[in-house]
Amino acid sequence: MKTVALIGQPNCGKSTLFNQLAGYKSLSANFPGATVEYTRGQTYLDDEIIEVIDLPGTYSLSWYDDAEKETVKALFKEDIDVIVNILDASTLVRSIELTIELMSLEKPIVVALNMMDEALRKGIYINVNKLENVLGVKVVPVIAKKGKGIKDLLKAIKNAKKPSKRCVYSKDVEKYINAIASCIEKNNLQNEWPSKLMAIKAIEGFEACQKPLENSVCEDVLNQAKFALKDGLVIVQERHALCMDIFEAVAKVKKKEKKNFEEKLDTVLLHPFFGYISMIVIFFSIFYIVFHGGVPVENFIIGIFDKIDHFIDLSLANYKLTHAIVKGVVDGVGAAFGIAFPYLLPFLFLISLLEDVGYLPRIGFLLDSTMHKMGLHGTSMIPFVSGYGCSVPAIMATRILKSRKEKIISAFLASLVPCSARTTVIMGLVGYFIGYGYAILLYVINIVVIMVSGIILKKLLPGISPEMALDIPPYRLPTFKTLLLKTWHKVKDFVFLAVPMLIGGSVVLTLISYYHLDNIINAIFKPFMELLGLPSTIGVVLLFGVLKKELTLLMLYQALGLSSLSQIPQMLTHNQMLIFTIFVMFYIPCLATIAAIKKEVGLKATIYITLGTLLLATLLSFFMQVIIHIA
Amino acid sequence: MKVAYNFGMKLIDGELGKSYIIESIDGGCLAKDRLWKLGVIPGVIVKIKRKAPLKGPFMLEVNGVDVVVGRGIASKINIRELE
Repeated sequence: MKTVALIGQPNCGKSTLFNQLAGYKSLSANFPGATVEYTRGQTYLDDEIIEVIDLPGTYSLSWYDDAEKETVKALFKEDIDVIVNILDASTLVRSIELTIELMSLEKPIVVALNMMDEALRKGIYINVNKLENVLGVKVVPVIAKKGKGIKDLLKAIKNAKKPSKRCVYSKDVEKYINAIASCIEKNNLQNEWPSKLMAIKAIEGFEACQKPLENSVCEDVLNQAKFALKDGLVIVQERHALCMDIFEAVAKVKKKEKKNFEEKLDTVLLHPFFGYISMIVIFFSIFYIVFHGGVPVENFIIGIFDKIDHFIDLSLANYKLTHAIVKGVVDGVGAAFGIAFPYLLPFLFLISLLEDVGYLPRIGFLLDSTMHKMGLHGTSMIPFVSGYGCSVPAIMATRILKSRKEKIISAFLASLVPCSARTTVIMGLVGYFIGYGYAILLYVINIVVIMVSGIILKKLLPGISPEMALDIPPYRLPTFKTLLLKTWHKVKDFVFLAVPMLIGGSVVLTLISYYHLDNIINAIFKPFMELLGLPSTIGVVLLFGVLKKELTLLMLYQALGLSSLSQIPQMLTHNQMLIFTIFVMFYIPCLATIAAIKKEVGLKATIYITLGTLLLATLLSFFMQVIIHIA
Repeated sequence: MKVAYNFGMKLIDGELGKSYIIESIDGGCLAKDRLWKLGVIPGVIVKIKRKAPLKGPFMLEVNGVDVVVGRGIASKINIRELE
C-alpha cells in the first residue's frame, strides 16, 4: 500500500485537502510517543488503496515547537512513498521555502498549488507550467475548498517522481556546504537528515543538526562556515532571493485589490478595547446558542431513553442482575448522546467555524499576554471556554496547542473548569440553599485557583514555552462541507472515547448498588471524610462522581438517606455544603475526561494530573474548613 | 564565534504605524529560524501594525502578510529607521 504524506505551512488548507482526499472515512489516532496527533485516512487510486497522512503544518523542517518537530520526525520515520506539498498560492514566496527543503529529501514529490482563487483575488496570476519547470516538480493547481483539481492531484500522486532539480546556492556557499556534508559522510555523523540539508541546517544553527557536529572532527569546518556565512544568514538571504526570483519568473502581480473590508474588521476585532468586547460578545453568543438550542434537543433524547428504560423495567423485571446491567448500559449510551448531539455538535461546529474563518489566531494575539503568565498562549483559551460545557471536548481541544508543556498545563487547568455537571452541584446546592452570590463567588474562586495553578505549573514543569511567532491568515469563508467534516471528526472522537467510559461507569454504579457495596466504600473513605468535616455516607457519592459527575447531586440525597433534594439542609450544614461543593468542583475528573487526558498527553502525565486535582481539592476544602472555623 | 549586534534600536522600541528595516536578529533568539521563514530577514522592511495591550505581542506587516511576534522576540530584533 502506498503511503502519501500531506505537508504544508500552517493555514495552507491542508486539512481541507485531506478531507477531500480521504473524506469522512479517516480515523485519527495518537501514535506512540507522539505528543501531537496526526490523522490518517484512506482513499482509492484506481483500484489501489493508498494511505494518506495529514501532518501538522510546519513552516520549515527545522522545527520551532513540538508540533513541527512531530511533523519532521514523522516525515523521516514513516515509510512515505510520496510527499504532497501543499502551497498557498497567495503566499507563494514563503511557501516555496518549504518546497525547496522538501525537495532535498529526494523522495517522489508533488506540489498541490492550493487557493488559486484567493491568489487571483489578490491579483496574483501564476503560470503553473513555468513553476513546474523552474522547480522540476509536478505542480497541480487545486482549490481544495471546492474540491477542484483533486482528480488531477491523485493522478499526479500515482505518477510522482523525484525532483529533477535541486536548489543550488552561489559557488562560495556551496563550497562550505559541500565541505561539511562530505565531512559528515566521511565520519558517519549522519542522522536521518540528508547530509547536505544537515550541513545547511547546522550552519544556520539548528540544534538537531548542529549538535552531532559539536566536539567532532567536523567542528572546525562548521565554525569556518558559520563565520564566513554569518551564522547562516548568507544562506537564508540567498534562499529568500531565490524564492523571490522564482516568484517573479512564474507570477504576475496586477494591481492589488484593496483588502478594505478585512482591514476594517481587524480594526474592531483587534482593537485594544473593542477587540475584547467583541470577543466576549462572540463567546457569549456561542454559549447562548448552544445552551438554549440544546435544552429541547436534550429533553427529546432523554425522553426517548426514558421510554427505553421503562420498557427494560417491564420486560426484565424478573431478572434483577441482567436488568441492572442492561439499564447501566442504556443509561451510559443515553448520557453520551444527551451530551454529544444537543451540545457538543453545535459547539464544535461553531468553534470550527471560528477556527476556519481565521478568528482563533486573532484571539491568540489579544490574550497572549495574560495566558503567557500561565505558561500558555492565547489560543489555549479554547480549551477553557469549552470546559464550561463538558471537559472531554475541552481536553480534546488541547490538540491544537503546539508544545507538550503547554498541553499538559492546559489539560490540567481545563479539567478544573466546572463542566455543566459540576455546575448543577454549584447551582443546585450552594446557589439554591446558601444563595446565588455564594455560587458566583465559587466561580470567581475557581478562576483564581486556575490562574494561580497555571503560574505555579509554568515554574514547576520542565521545558520552555516558546513565544508566539506566527502569521495571521486572512479572513476566509469556509464551506459548509468542510466544517461539517471537521465537526464530525471531533464528535466521532468524543463518541468513541466517552461512550465506553460512560457505559462502564453506569454498569459499575448499578453493580455497586445491586451488591450493596456502598457501606464498604464508605468505611474506606471515612477517615478522609472526617478530615474534610463531612458525613462519612458521602464517600460513595464522591466515588460515583468520578464515574459520572452528572449523578453527584442525585446520589447525594440518596446517600444521606433522604427522599428528596429539598431535605438536604436536614443533614448538611451550609458550611458542609460549601466544603463539599469546593471539593466536587476541583477533585478527580470523570472517567471519560481521564481517558481524554490520557489520549492527549499520555499515561504518566494523566496520573500526575489526576492526583494533582485530588490534592488540590483536598487542600482547598481543608483550607476552607479552617477558614470557616476561625471566622 | 557569535557576532554580536548590540548597538542601535530594537523592534520593541519601535513606534506604532511606522516602518523599519530589519538589521539583524540576536544570536540567542530561539525563534530565529521561524522568523526567517516568516520573512523577517535582515534587509526586509516591516511595519508595526498593532501592539496588543498588557505587554502583549506585536503585529507586523511583512511582504503584505500579518505576522505576530511576542515581545521577548521583538526585543531581540535589531532595526533601523526608514529614512
